[in-house]
Amino acid sequence: MTRLTSKVCIVGDFAVGKTSVVERFVSNHFSGKYLSTVGVKIDTKEIEQGAAGVSHKLVIWDVAGSDSFGDREFAYLRGASGYIFVADGTRALTIGAVETIQSQIAEKFGAAPSVLLLNKRDLVAEWEVTDERFEALSASFNGAFKTSAKTGDDVEDAFARLAQLIVENELRGK
Amino acid sequence: MALPAPVVSYLQSSFLEETRPFCLLLDANYRVVDSWGDNSWCGLTGIEPGADMRESAPFLVGLPLTETQRFEFIETVGRAIVHAHLVPEGDNCYVVLLDARVAHAAQQTTQHSVNEHRLMHVRQRKFIARQRELISELIETRSELEHHRRDAERSSAEKSRFIASMSHEFRTPLASIINYAELAAAGDTSANDVQKCIETISRSAQHLTSLVEALLDDATLDAGQVELVEHDFDLRKVFDDLAAMMAPLAAEKGLSFVTLVDPDVPKVIHADEVRLRQVLINVLGNAVKFTLEGSVKITATYAVDRLRIKVADTGPGISPEDQERVFRAFERGSTREKAGAGLGLTISLRLVQLMRGEVSLESVQGQGCEVIIVIPAAASAAPIGHDTGMFAALGSDTMAQKPLSVLICDDDADMVALVEHYLHRSGYGLITSSDTTEAIEKTLNYAPDLVLMDCNIPGIGGVAAALQLRERGYAKPIVALTASNLDAEEQGAFTRFFRKPAPMQELLAEIKRLTH
Repeated sequence: MTRLTSKVCIVGDFAVGKTSVVERFVSNHFSGKYLSTVGVKIDTKEIEQGAAGVSHKLVIWDVAGSDSFGDREFAYLRGASGYIFVADGTRALTIGAVETIQSQIAEKFGAAPSVLLLNKRDLVAEWEVTDERFEALSASFNGAFKTSAKTGDDVEDAFARLAQLIVENELRGK
Repeated sequence: MALPAPVVSYLQSSFLEETRPFCLLLDANYRVVDSWGDNSWCGLTGIEPGADMRESAPFLVGLPLTETQRFEFIETVGRAIVHAHLVPEGDNCYVVLLDARVAHAAQQTTQHSVNEHRLMHVRQRKFIARQRELISELIETRSELEHHRRDAERSSAEKSRFIASMSHEFRTPLASIINYAELAAAGDTSANDVQKCIETISRSAQHLTSLVEALLDDATLDAGQVELVEHDFDLRKVFDDLAAMMAPLAAEKGLSFVTLVDPDVPKVIHADEVRLRQVLINVLGNAVKFTLEGSVKITATYAVDRLRIKVADTGPGISPEDQERVFRAFERGSTREKAGAGLGLTISLRLVQLMRGEVSLESVQGQGCEVIIVIPAAASAAPIGHDTGMFAALGSDTMAQKPLSVLICDDDADMVALVEHYLHRSGYGLITSSDTTEAIEKTLNYAPDLVLMDCNIPGIGGVAAALQLRERGYAKPIVALTASNLDAEEQGAFTRFFRKPAPMQELLAEIKRLTH
């Protein structure tokens, strides 16, 4: 089985649940307490991608929330193989933030595999994103997921999808 | 100018004490060449020459070692918080890690406070937006409530006016019935006067019946229980019947009454004849009632499967404001001196709409009125097999032609006596019962040739009694004779359904038909 290690950056506006999504993916745990991330938090998780015959170690950079990036944030993104953009489905304005960051990254580093997570899908009564908009977002990113770090819904699938895109990208590169 | 040597020395030692630098020298493949300083605080392990540092320091994955780089506040897998500096030197690169916990804690407190503040703003904005929505909904709800309140008040006023009107409408014929009954019962009244009394009582009773029928029709339409029964019939025969009914009333007032059916109207059409008659009687009745001189004319034309009937009169006409009201329940325009429940035109309009048709009214005050009714009515080639006219002659012979018995189940002694009188006179043997339990037992024991059943009576009620009789094997006719308004399913429990007051001749003729 081929071993692959990839740097993945989680980006998005503040308080959209980036750290909670990573915690759910890495430790299958959720803490409802909100604590702002300063700088960047590093975690790793190894997943088996049986279809591709790859043992894939993801080095996850959980970057502090921001609605636009400066030099300090761009430094964190150096060498990233893929991106997870996270927005809060109960705050539609945070989608604008990921769209801004996405275009900044594309301009600075070029296109790279990415997926969009609309998080907090468990908060049904407060959800602000229509199905039509979700479909449009899914087309403009490489895939979009309605996730809940609280329940774990679709979190694993979103990371698996990104890992698959990275492998496909690597294979194309070779 | 350079700082004094003691100050530089002090700052250096302070910085080193606070940041506890740990330094690695890595080759181009991230392998350890050498290391310096204390690594115990930063959680890095396996630091031996030749070891790949990407294993124990995964943040190095993907970073080029050929450029000077600086990363602030990296929380490592081992949960240390470092500032990382990459300083290339030839083919190798120094990686310098500085302890950043103190600065990180301070910045996190500040950052968290800012973020919480921003979140609070977001929540406030959403709260205010929601408040606005709620206020808007509240205004809308209040407006709807106000609308409903006005409707309820108008409805209540209409009902009150209706009750007052009905009270008057019922009292007049009732007074006539009571007074003439007293006169007929008085010992010194001549036979001729008694006959006149009875005729007046009969007329008043029929008027009361028509009032009750109108109320029931309106209630039935309200409940959505009216179902059309369409069949083939001769419109010309209907017009003849209407002329027979209306012409004498018109003649009494010196009016001419004209019927005209265009030759294009098919001989046989397919529609609900009974409901059409009801509508036309209502409209013609109004026309005759309100026209003081001149004529009432009814004409029928036909085109593209649609029957168009126009009732024109030379009456006082209807003002534009009254034209909107006359089709509403309990409204009678401004001519209040005329009798009626104010339901006739409402019922007519609703029946025509039920027939998928339209009613329109054209009138200029002082110049008469035209009511135009258009309904779908397909032409039919089928011949009319029998006379279905409302005023067709009833079977004249109501006498039983063989020994027959009828069980009457009714808790109204007067009604039992009346029916008993007619049936006995027609040659039927009679069994009577005043409750359903007894009626069922007697029916099963004596097997009468027909059961005449009231519905709202003691015991299980007439409908349930009829169903039970069928279950227990009684196969002969069961006829309902009731004041209750049965729905179609309830009527299905009976062979025939008559609503009180039923014309006695018709009832007797039907009993004879069912038993012979």
